[in-house]
Amino acid sequence: MSEPLLTVENLKTQFFTEEGTVRAVDGVNFEVNEGELVGLVGESGAGKSVAAQSIMRLVEEPGRIVDGTVTFDGKKLVDIEETPDGRMEESDEMLSNREMREQVRGREIAIVFQDPMESLNPVFKVGAQLREFIELNRGVNESEAKTIAVDMLREVGIPEPEARYDDYPHEFSGGMRQRVLIAMALACEPRLIIADEPTTALDVTVEGQILDLVSDLQERYDTAFLWVTHDMGVVAEICDRVNVMYLGEVIEEAEVDDLFHDTKHPYTEALLRSMPRPDRSVESLDPIKGVMPEAINPPSGCRFHTRCPEAREACKEFHPEYQDVSDADEAPHAVSCIKYERVGYEDSDPLQTEATGAFAGGLADMRGDDDGRDPAGVPGGEADE
Amino acid sequence: MGRAQYTIRRVLQAIPVLLGVVTITYFLMEAMPGDPVSIMLGPSPSAQQAAAIRAKYGLDQPLWLRYLNYLWDVVQLDLGTSLYYEVPVTQKILERMPVTILLLVSSFTFAIVTSVPLGIISAQRRNKPTDHVARVVALLGVSTPSFWIGLVLIIVFAYQVSWFPATNLVLPWASPAEVGVDSQLDVLVTSLHHLVLPTISLGTLQMAALTRIERSSMLEVLGEEYVKLARAYGVKETTILRKHAFRNAQLPLITLLGLQLTSAIGGAVLTETVFSINGMGTLIITAINNQDFALVVGTTLVLGLVFVVGVIITDLSYAYIDPRVTFEDAD
Repeated sequence: MSEPLLTVENLKTQFFTEEGTVRAVDGVNFEVNEGELVGLVGESGAGKSVAAQSIMRLVEEPGRIVDGTVTFDGKKLVDIEETPDGRMEESDEMLSNREMREQVRGREIAIVFQDPMESLNPVFKVGAQLREFIELNRGVNESEAKTIAVDMLREVGIPEPEARYDDYPHEFSGGMRQRVLIAMALACEPRLIIADEPTTALDVTVEGQILDLVSDLQERYDTAFLWVTHDMGVVAEICDRVNVMYLGEVIEEAEVDDLFHDTKHPYTEALLRSMPRPDRSVESLDPIKGVMPEAINPPSGCRFHTRCPEAREACKEFHPEYQDVSDADEAPHAVSCIKYERVGYEDSDPLQTEATGAFAGGLADMRGDDDGRDPAGVPGGEADE
Repeated sequence: MGRAQYTIRRVLQAIPVLLGVVTITYFLMEAMPGDPVSIMLGPSPSAQQAAAIRAKYGLDQPLWLRYLNYLWDVVQLDLGTSLYYEVPVTQKILERMPVTILLLVSSFTFAIVTSVPLGIISAQRRNKPTDHVARVVALLGVSTPSFWIGLVLIIVFAYQVSWFPATNLVLPWASPAEVGVDSQLDVLVTSLHHLVLPTISLGTLQMAALTRIERSSMLEVLGEEYVKLARAYGVKETTILRKHAFRNAQLPLITLLGLQLTSAIGGAVLTETVFSINGMGTLIITAINNQDFALVVGTTLVLGLVFVVGVIITDLSYAYIDPRVTFEDAD
């Protein structure tokens, strides 16, 4: 197989807050191939948005990328190494802010944010905003950019694109605005589009239309997508391959069918069981017990052990290795769980956790109910901030 | 729906406001103790003289009739005759108003020209030394009264070092002969030189308040999603500041500008007194001291009009900058 378009290795992004260092993204690995639609899934606060924004180096103060490498088409978007004296420094190969701006952002990688109502500038006409980014990233003049913009608006299903071109954002509905933002991303002809929960703020029917539109356009333009979402249903619908994140780490990665039918990680399993489905009533839904711990002070060993129904004593001790557990003739399937390692899981005693029922109905449940805020408490950690 | 309609509506809305200003000032003035006639005629006038004066100025009529007559006169742009100057009030106002407007315009220009860059720099270098300095300056400016600044400026720059004149303001439209210089350009230069101290004195408060607003609104806009999006599409930081954030960040500033017109008019009264400028401020004080009924009501009405016009301009520029204003208003 050829080199992946995007490779993320050991990426770490931290937020230096007054309460302490929030390890929002803590050693994440994944890749996106040319023309592939890859999902990045996780609960609120798992760090998936921060991971996505770190790729484009859009993380804002007090957040900072502290370690890792992000390679895009041979270019090092992020490349932080340890110097001989133990400090973490940007390598010479890492693109400067200027190169990042001129060569990568918009031109090679475009992004679609969660909230279409906030993503367009209210005081400029929609067409002018599209045109500006097209001019900038395609190197065309104003009238060519306008032609491209109008064509692209038509392409994403905006009726009467010539007339709508001169409308202001407030004259568009939420779904229409998200179409505009998708048009904006595609019009710049990037090779990768990062979609940061682009359908979360939309009605379900509109969400369906947007998903259809994206899979259709993705096939025609052959653009790779990194689709950030918390919704397993969306993943099932459009993704080729999925990475599941929990508390700053990717804990399982597989092709979408494998992930759903041959689930390896107890967290992914729990996530799938908690999904509402037409063949099950609400009562039979099985939500994941407890809340995700704070990313300031993640649990020892496996981070999921506090909520894992299969947790054993050994899970507290050993941080699982993230490794490929598929057979040689299968598609790769990576997971990080000590069930698949020889570190003594089988001989270990079951651990009493929120999920194994030891505290059922007690303190843990109450906490789970009223502590509903974003567990990581990270600014920009989730797109709804 | 359109901007024209919005403009007309805002102008029409000003009429009841102005009517309110006339009515309140008229009756407040009426309620004041003291008799203008006795001030005019000095101590112990004859009853005959007093009656003649009262008849001449219509003071012998009942209050409601005088009020209605006055309203009718105002509609015809006649503000009555000044008892003190013995000339029509409109003439006096036309003579003084340009001076005060000059002062207001120059101090607002000073305030805007300094506060906008200062606020932007402050926001851009948040919590860095530049920002701290700008914030301290703004805080001092907001908390210092304009007449005090005026006095200090006069003591330091007019008497100690003699860089700027403190009195005898030269008006830019005066003739060169009057001022004693060669050309109209020289008049302008002399006038600007004279305006420096009064402008700073009056403009500091506005400058400080505007800087604070500019900083906070710029910070807010820079945190917006559409700014982040522009950054994600490779737009340069300077372009983001100048184009994507600037226009949105000016909205709170414009609101504040309109509201500040009141405090600026109040400040102009003090500043004119400190710098002995013959503007509306000194005119009002003379009018009040001499119980010059028509002049007090007339000047108040005109300053009220200035304020109302200022607010209308604020609203209109809002509608021109933010397309949502007109639209939402129409629905």
